[in-house]
Amino acid sequence: MKRVLARTVYMVIVLALSSVAVFYAIRLSGGDAVAARVPASASAEDREAVREQLGLNDPFHEQYFDYIGSLVSGDLGNSLTNNAQIGSMLTEHGRNSLILGAAAFILVFGVGIPLGMLASLRRNSWWDGGIMTFSVAGMAVPNFWLALLAVWLFATQLGWLPSAGCCSPKQLVLPAVVLAMEGLALTVRMTRSAMLENLNQDFVRTLRSGGLSEVKVIGRHVFRNALVPIVSLAGLRIGQIVGYALVVETIFGWPGLGQVLVNAVLRRDYPVAQFFSLVLVTIVLLSNWLADVGYSVVNPRLRRG
Amino acid sequence: MVSVTDRPVSPSGHRTDPAPLLSIKGLHTSVRSRGESFDVVRGLSLDVYPNEVLCLVGESGCGKSITALSVMGLLPDPPVRIREGEILFHGQDLVALGNKQMRDIRADSISMIFQDPLTSLDPVFTVGEVMVEVIRAHRDMNKSDARNLAGETLAKVGLPDPITRLDSYPHQLSGGMRQRVMIAMALVLDPEILIADEPTTALDVTVQAQILDQLLTEQRERNMAMLLITHDLAVVASIADRVAVMYSGEIVEQATVDELFENPRHPYTQGLLRALPKVSTVRQQLDPIPGLVPYLQFLPPGCSFAPRCPHALDRCWEEPPELVPDQEGRVFRCFNPQDFTER
Repeated sequence: MKRVLARTVYMVIVLALSSVAVFYAIRLSGGDAVAARVPASASAEDREAVREQLGLNDPFHEQYFDYIGSLVSGDLGNSLTNNAQIGSMLTEHGRNSLILGAAAFILVFGVGIPLGMLASLRRNSWWDGGIMTFSVAGMAVPNFWLALLAVWLFATQLGWLPSAGCCSPKQLVLPAVVLAMEGLALTVRMTRSAMLENLNQDFVRTLRSGGLSEVKVIGRHVFRNALVPIVSLAGLRIGQIVGYALVVETIFGWPGLGQVLVNAVLRRDYPVAQFFSLVLVTIVLLSNWLADVGYSVVNPRLRRG
Repeated sequence: MVSVTDRPVSPSGHRTDPAPLLSIKGLHTSVRSRGESFDVVRGLSLDVYPNEVLCLVGESGCGKSITALSVMGLLPDPPVRIREGEILFHGQDLVALGNKQMRDIRADSISMIFQDPLTSLDPVFTVGEVMVEVIRAHRDMNKSDARNLAGETLAKVGLPDPITRLDSYPHQLSGGMRQRVMIAMALVLDPEILIADEPTTALDVTVQAQILDQLLTEQRERNMAMLLITHDLAVVASIADRVAVMYSGEIVEQATVDELFENPRHPYTQGLLRALPKVSTVRQQLDPIPGLVPYLQFLPPGCSFAPRCPHALDRCWEEPPELVPDQEGRVFRCFNPQDFTER
């Protein structure tokens, strides 16, 4: 319990620090936020007027506290470019991202863990060799390249799947697989080595000497032990999904949070970029927090004796 | 302390009980390593009779644990497997049994406890969860009855606060408590034979005595046979009815505990006894057996102990001695037995 509380406090601190970092980073990265709002023909005076109106001439720290103040009071603000409400952008694009992210998450763990188990139980067989080769390839191939390759093969050449768009199941396949690939490959490797390590533990012999079936010994006991390292790094896997979503959503034209964020940064749409950066940071922090809590659930050695 | 005279034993140390409970006949267990296969247990025969404590003694690597695991059908296969031989339990050959039938025998009829109670218990399950699972693998019992049985057994083997301990994880218990849990787990289904593989080696000396005592109490109360594997002759002296001494994969001498300690016949047994520290003597130095245990891949053609034996004859180097009974009826494997002298 103490541990959970400590992690929660830690999470809040990191969130506060990253809000500062995000706020300053986008302002220090050059470009002009006003350009997005006024026509290209606008005079210097007009631009200055808009800048003043938006408060962009205030010192950074004042802008920061104004911004945090309005966030806390529930005012998420509007886009500088098209005045769209950030709140409604969040629900609309957030839903798309959630679909993609959940699909990738299921692939990473729902496919990665069984494949890793299969490889460990058929150690040194063709199954093992095939799965491990796939896993090495999955880790080595960068996702943007994998995305292009997949589009070329499955969309252009074979015509089985659409190359882009949202949000039918068919359109989901390619982006989800590409997004999941690296995490999937890592999960396979990790599951395999954790299973192998625990299969050789003395307790396995004890359980067998108790007359338990192999299904129980391996499926229940060895697996539960192998789950400890897998869960402990689940937060990292989710973080990876969130980070790669920026690339994958852009390539596949998937209208999710990642795509919104990339566009906002390119246009120096400060409120949108800030807010969605913070959303992604929050997701990563939350998933790490969850993984941490999950870790102490699956590993009783962390609980007090 | 149970004395051997409590039970029907013939003067020769051969039991008068009608039939052995467990009978290992000509067991060869081999290890495959780098494409080569060699025996680590070499034609071992051993009978375990009802109600007795039989100690299997020998140094590390002599094949004691492999013998035990062969009986349990728990050899790490590959690379270790039974090449030849029979293990008869109630007339049934365990070597020939299928997985399912062997599982039914484990814990229910033949149980085993292991050396290191920390690594031998599953760290992420509670004591109660695992015990309930073991019980329900063999008995048609609901969870709460099984839990009660587990709690009762824990109490019987002297675990303090047994009901609370059902919900403990192994890391929350001390070494002695863990070993009691192991014992309870092995005894919960009232097996006919308990195989204890170095059950006290990983424990503090004070705890060792308690655990041995507990094992002996359980063995007596349950009328169970116990095959205790150890390298510790002090343990043997305090607990055994009969002793089998193993050297490089075979039995070199077998006798009642009194006979063995009074008048060991095989030079290896004699060496073991001479190497024991004695409180009564003023001598400072111990008397080790010279030389090293032979590699099982490269055994000499004759007696495997010949290279270390002070009394080896030419014949000992040429042909392996058979296990033969002497006039008193005990068995040992030696062409040139000497009378035992203490140093």
